[in-house]
Amino acid sequence: MVGFRPEQVYLLMMLLYGGAALSALLLRKHPHWGNLTAHGLCLAAAALGTAASLLQLTVVEAPLRVSLLQSALPLIGVDLVIDRLSAFFILTLSVLGGCVSIYSFGYLQHYFGRRDVGLFNFLYALFILSMFWVLTAGNAVFFFIAWEIMSLLSYFLVVFESEQKENQRAGTIYIIMTHLGTSFLLVGFMLMFSFTQSFDLLAGSATIPGWAKDVMFILFLIGFGTKAGVIPLHIWLPYAHPAAASNVSALMSGIMIKTAIYGLLRFVLGYLQLQHAWWGMLLLGLGLVSAVLGVAYALMEHNIKRLLAFHSIENIGIILIGLGVSFTALAQGHALVGAVALAAALFHTFNHALFKGGLFLGAGALQLATHTKDIEELGGLIKRMPRTALLMLIFSLAISAIVPFNGFVSEWLTYQALLGSIGPGQAGINIIAALAVAALAFSGALAAACFVKLFGISFLGLPRSEHALHAREAPASMQLGMGLLAGLCLAAGVYPLGFLRLIDQVGVALTGTAIAGGLQGGWGTVSYPLAAAGTSISPPAALAVMVGVGLAAGILLRVLGGSGRERRYGTWDCGFAAINSRMQYSATGFSKPLRIVLRLLYRPGRELVVEEGRSPYFPDLMKYKVSTEAIFEKYLYDPGLQLINRFSSKLEYRVQTGSIHMYLLYIFLTMLALMLYNRLV
Amino acid sequence: MNPSSYILIQILTILAVAPLVNGIIRKSKALTQKRQGPPLLQMYWDLYKLLQKSAVVSETASWIFTATPYIVLATAVAAAVLVPVSTLIIPAGFPGDVIMLVYILALGRFFMMLAGLDTGSTFGGMGSSREAMISALIEPSILVSMLTVGLIAQSTAVGEMMAAMKLVTAPLLHPVYLLLFLALVIVLLAETSRIPVDDPATHLELTMVHEAMVLEYSGRQLALMELGAAVKQLVLITLLVNLFLPHDQLLTMTGSGAVLLSVLLYLLKVVLAAVGIAVIETSTVKLRLFSVPNLAALAFILSFLGFLQYFVLGR
Amino acid sequence: MANYLDALSVLILVSSFVLVANKRISSYIATFRLQSLLIALTAGMMGLQSLRLEGRVDVLVVGLLIVSLKVIYIPNLLNRTFAQVEYRVEKDFFLNIPLLVLICCGLVVFSYFSISTIAGINAGTINMQVVNSVSVVLIGLLFMISRKKAIGQMVGFLVIENGLFVTALFSTHGMPFIVDMGIFIDMITAVLIMGILVFRINEKFESINLHELKNLRG
Repeated sequence: MVGFRPEQVYLLMMLLYGGAALSALLLRKHPHWGNLTAHGLCLAAAALGTAASLLQLTVVEAPLRVSLLQSALPLIGVDLVIDRLSAFFILTLSVLGGCVSIYSFGYLQHYFGRRDVGLFNFLYALFILSMFWVLTAGNAVFFFIAWEIMSLLSYFLVVFESEQKENQRAGTIYIIMTHLGTSFLLVGFMLMFSFTQSFDLLAGSATIPGWAKDVMFILFLIGFGTKAGVIPLHIWLPYAHPAAASNVSALMSGIMIKTAIYGLLRFVLGYLQLQHAWWGMLLLGLGLVSAVLGVAYALMEHNIKRLLAFHSIENIGIILIGLGVSFTALAQGHALVGAVALAAALFHTFNHALFKGGLFLGAGALQLATHTKDIEELGGLIKRMPRTALLMLIFSLAISAIVPFNGFVSEWLTYQALLGSIGPGQAGINIIAALAVAALAFSGALAAACFVKLFGISFLGLPRSEHALHAREAPASMQLGMGLLAGLCLAAGVYPLGFLRLIDQVGVALTGTAIAGGLQGGWGTVSYPLAAAGTSISPPAALAVMVGVGLAAGILLRVLGGSGRERRYGTWDCGFAAINSRMQYSATGFSKPLRIVLRLLYRPGRELVVEEGRSPYFPDLMKYKVSTEAIFEKYLYDPGLQLINRFSSKLEYRVQTGSIHMYLLYIFLTMLALMLYNRLV
Repeated sequence: MNPSSYILIQILTILAVAPLVNGIIRKSKALTQKRQGPPLLQMYWDLYKLLQKSAVVSETASWIFTATPYIVLATAVAAAVLVPVSTLIIPAGFPGDVIMLVYILALGRFFMMLAGLDTGSTFGGMGSSREAMISALIEPSILVSMLTVGLIAQSTAVGEMMAAMKLVTAPLLHPVYLLLFLALVIVLLAETSRIPVDDPATHLELTMVHEAMVLEYSGRQLALMELGAAVKQLVLITLLVNLFLPHDQLLTMTGSGAVLLSVLLYLLKVVLAAVGIAVIETSTVKLRLFSVPNLAALAFILSFLGFLQYFVLGR
Repeated sequence: MANYLDALSVLILVSSFVLVANKRISSYIATFRLQSLLIALTAGMMGLQSLRLEGRVDVLVVGLLIVSLKVIYIPNLLNRTFAQVEYRVEKDFFLNIPLLVLICCGLVVFSYFSISTIAGINAGTINMQVVNSVSVVLIGLLFMISRKKAIGQMVGFLVIENGLFVTALFSTHGMPFIVDMGIFIDMITAVLIMGILVFRINEKFESINLHELKNLRG
């Protein structure tokens, strides 16, 4: 690497992705080789990306500018800017992309002969490339173009299996919502240009008046919020993620929604420079609501991928809580709290990509083995797919923020940041921060409940259907991809200091304050100075104590009680004999207490159909169906859609008369109006 | 004090005293009901008896079932390390704070819920789903109240919080601490599965929450689960009494004599707390499952009000 | 001393939360009794202090009045009146209890935001006590709104009166005696009339569910 300049590494990376796309297209007739080369090249590109971004974060100081295309049209050029913020997100993209590529070696083999795998890989490689461009765009026009390409490619990937109706519907909702958000971004960019006459993202925003900055903030918030899945702009997520193939879902949930976080950081923190504290408080409030509602809806799902999609909404909420605290603190001038909160948000972004990506990959493995996405039909898979089960367990523990995995460290940092933002004399912020602490605790406990349900119903107990009886372990490449992610989860949990030092470099670049000094504490410890006294946690020490106690207990038991005899027998059945799988708890039953407690939110609908047998006390068949009401769609979007439909049909009668003369008249009037505008302005 | 001797003292004290707390509670309950009740050391004998017996494991169960008792005990003991029995023995800069405490206990609870589902029995699933609901409703109260104390003490490390509370005269007469104490009493009852949230002595499966999850365990695995639950109970009691009834400021001497006296005073407080729990258990009834949210809402309000009284209303 | 008053004001607020979280008729009356006892304690402590410092006994007398009326006489009266009514537990609510409790918490925040703008109030101690007491008034009113049976309205009215009394007590450490007497006489009259009316309604309609009074529309 010595002779290479950093820019060349990134160019090579782009070439490799392009090469992967091309080779996938060329080798369509030979799916096996096409798959191998495409993902092999993607893997190489990902490795390069990891190395380059690590280098950028640790060694290289100044941002890199790479100018690819200078066209004759002013303001339109393809130039990339890779500074520390971009490098961090590229690191996340590359790590996740690499593991997903390894996974795809085995996963896509099941599609050979049934689907056009070459086309799929072509779209896939270009999708990653477009995300790379979004993360490194240097001017707003190129950012917009890359954003659009990313949305379009992900749409094609979502509707790849387009013969199923729900996939079509998912794609439609997705493309409409994402374009809605993008239009807000467009207005924001146009405002940007009208005040500064330039699209350069690294330039200053000093010439923009205060009110315009507020308006731009709201526009960017809506635009990026739609892509991130913030409530109430989230309705596309639960449709789009389940419709796509699992490796694409992993990428979408792991990275694509994080590009919105990148956008918020780049535009609001970097460009608009945080005018007011209420910006941060708005983000905090939105994050709070998304965290609680996201996991509340996830609890009620029993389609694995929809469940995971709702969980992404929850985690975006947690990231927004961190960002909100950071923005508020930085706007008020509390640099240390702001830097810690920023570090918490960025670390959670990275962690979420790891464990959510892993969970989607595991869901794909489950789907391949059992041909169903419904966890009510699974069960007992821990004996048939032991390694996948272990990996899914690790990811479930990580996402529930359980010691000693990485989710815990980022939530701990978020808590500390919230505490740091509470101080005397600011009633509004104190109340929202306390509510955010309560919301984090509540969503964490609900997430644990949800993943106990997911893991317990899918993997434990007796198989509930034929699907689960004949499941087989996933192929080795899929296990390797997931295993790498799981290993990283554990590593980030046990040695968070290394990752936090990297993130701190990003924080220094953005805010000018380093927290690495406060993050001392030796190997494996993270300490955060809250005023004078230091608070530190040491996940590896806790892990060591737990393992030590476990071993000591085992040894002591052997000494005190002799080698214990264990007898295997059927589960206790109250003497009725023949427990079968229908008697165990189902997913719907598991979440019933919470469904009843939160019934004001869910408004569950119940249907009970009973076929009586010889006596009303011994029915032949009972069918029970429970459903939760989609509040946002019913009360927010449907009325809006009806309004638009009514307006459009009225307009249709008046305007689209079908007469050629009217249409010519419209063109004539428009030309006159434009010429008048030119005269007046 | 260096960390390894601190850890040793903590683990030994808490492991030794935990079954005694259960004994005191049962004896007190029996005395209020005009019965003689089991001897105070009954749980030690019970644990010893269970160790001798062989275990029957369900055929449906997997490695999670056999691993859970060790994990439950390990997490309870790891939590015990974080809550000092006396402020005189805390080593400087010991890592670990109250948030870590909550999430270490969450690990034990996660595996206990999984073990309930592992055997494919209905009662286990029922216990797990009820436990999921109760723990989800109680967690906000724990964190808001602990973090309020942490904010006042300017640190979330448990040792630092205890040291800061030592300087407050009569915490229970101070409105903020009184509110947080009441909230934490409700949390203690919920987390240790005591009346009014769950009955630890019930034989009816339909009324069980914690007992339903350990229903399938026998032999030494049951001993580990029971011991783990007792250790967790003592950890929460220690947190409560050492924060809100600090005793170390009454000691005037120094040296190892002071440490011994401090630990003895701590044991006295634990006995008082155990009797208090027994009194609460005998004077209330177990709530219907769907009345538990009312209690949880009350606990949350108490802790949130405590936060408000301090940070918004300005004390 | 100020610390005890703070703790008492907080406990009075907590008792009003406990009142909202309850479903049993006997618990309503018992919680009201407890709240009145706490108020009597507050008045007693203030009375002792004013006796020591200024030699006035009126606050102490007021405290004793509260004990005899609100702790002993009125709860017993309520218990006797409602001993003849059929039910013991309320099962039917407009909004479920946890939501009501959370709304009450919002009321506390709201009364803080409203009162903190009054000039001269920000003298630390008085601020918190006054906010707590005004919240008791609001919570009493919410209790009246949220309960369907007549006992809810009666106890709610009494809690509102408690809250007003304790607001005045905390902000002025004692009102003119004649004002206190006037309030007490009003309150006794209202309770007696309500008690008699409820008895008659129960006799006539065999139910004291006020929600069904809607049927009496003309």
